[in-house]
Amino acid sequence: MIQAGVIGVGQTNYDSKRRDVSMAGLVREAIDHALLAADVEWDAIDAVVLGKAPDMFEGVVMPELYLADAIGAVGKPVLRVHTAGSVGGSTAVIAASHVCSGQFKTVLTVTFEKQSESNATWALSPRYPYSPHINAGAGGYFAPFIREYIRRYDAPEHIGWKVAAKDRQNALKNPLAHLQIPGIDEKMVSETPMLWEPLRYLESCPSSDGACAMVITSEEMVGSRKVAWIKGMALRSEGTLSAGRDEVNPQAGIDCAKDIYQQAGIHNPRKEIDCAEIYVPFSWYEPMWLENLGFCELGEGWKLTDEGVTRLDGSLPVNMSGGVLSSNPIGASGMIRFGEAALQVMGLAEDHQVEDANIAMGHAYGGAAQFFAMWIVSSSKN
Amino acid sequence: MSETKATLLKAPFELSYKYKRSSGPIMSQVFEGLAKKKILGSKSKANKVYAPAAEYDPHTREALTELIEVGPGGIIESWSWVHQPSNHHLIQTPFAFALIKLDGADTAMLHMISDCEKSDLAIGNRVKAVWSETPTESIADIQHFILDI
Repeated sequence: MIQAGVIGVGQTNYDSKRRDVSMAGLVREAIDHALLAADVEWDAIDAVVLGKAPDMFEGVVMPELYLADAIGAVGKPVLRVHTAGSVGGSTAVIAASHVCSGQFKTVLTVTFEKQSESNATWALSPRYPYSPHINAGAGGYFAPFIREYIRRYDAPEHIGWKVAAKDRQNALKNPLAHLQIPGIDEKMVSETPMLWEPLRYLESCPSSDGACAMVITSEEMVGSRKVAWIKGMALRSEGTLSAGRDEVNPQAGIDCAKDIYQQAGIHNPRKEIDCAEIYVPFSWYEPMWLENLGFCELGEGWKLTDEGVTRLDGSLPVNMSGGVLSSNPIGASGMIRFGEAALQVMGLAEDHQVEDANIAMGHAYGGAAQFFAMWIVSSSKN
Repeated sequence: MSETKATLLKAPFELSYKYKRSSGPIMSQVFEGLAKKKILGSKSKANKVYAPAAEYDPHTREALTELIEVGPGGIIESWSWVHQPSNHHLIQTPFAFALIKLDGADTAMLHMISDCEKSDLAIGNRVKAVWSETPTESIADIQHFILDI
């Protein structure tokens, strides 16, 4: 297979309202940064892959039509990807697959959400006939799975506060992050109102505007550029309400992780992966995904968090950029994880750089914890 | 297999949400212009003028930041006659949808031509904008076009 690598990552700053730009202006801002970082011109781009969450979030149906000029798709193949919240990750995988296929040498990929144009929570809760209109919101949907995790493994409640504080402390080292909360600590989190019991206000992600873009190219086009080599990538899915499904530890997540580890030749992820950007929109998903991804045995994830293993200075830093808990432009959130993993192995993560990060993971999940997208990137080709 | 025939259910399902559009620095000027009865087009570095205005050049991919006034007259590039307007149409008497190339522009915009007979219309005929009396900072501030012969 043709080796693909990320040669440029571009992000907007993330904020609750980017009213200073249109949707087109928002995506172009990320693209301009990515092209500049990759040191390539438009002529070098062979295809464009766009991703975003449901069209109802902004009320623009098929945004790839309206955005064709802004994303430079005129005269090139364009593909739009959609897999709910994991879309940023799956879009990256689809874009990289374009390169690995040998059909395209260099691909531009971009994802975005402009949540300020609507209200994403309610756009996911229409009044369908024959169904109760429970208006639970995303947090209300995931909260019972979190309670079940806590029950199974007898985890203490401060674990959630710890993740929430840690990710926002990391965000203070990332000027692009939406939430900048000086002095954030566990106590501050624990004193915020209960939102979706057992989740408190600051244990939940914000609603953000923003876009993230990447330039992915083949081995022959890399030249002397800095590159994050894609060593493994995979997507897995499962049903929303399938009988026997374990929502706390979804099989699709386990399988997806096994697939990328096998591709990348990783036998012990806890030891071999230097850092990870994992999709954690609600605090407890850090320990839950640590287990799902095989970084530890079941029931041990919360202990890793509690011991500080996932801190920026820990032995397995998680969400160095501040994560989804600090910036959540939904359609882009997965790609930010993948892009931030790439920045780490390229040594370009600035103040939130993990020293000697050579192998990093990007992870995203979406829907009812049913769509998974993951990749492993490395500073070395072999 | 049961012999009972199932009743086939159906239920109404209406979907609607409220949105707030951010038009950005370029298109905001264009919509403000329309409310002041001015049509602005986007001029590229190669002096190509896009009307309706665009934020990005589809061919050179440059950000289009220069706006110049175009119209309010122009020519018909193509058209389609609507014999019997339905409730959904903005004009309730027979009218035409038309691609109109405004004076000073290199591209055509889709709009409507009213107050004319089908036999009056021909590619190349001149039209001019009729402005709405109640500006809304939208493309609807051009109510429609009329023939300008």
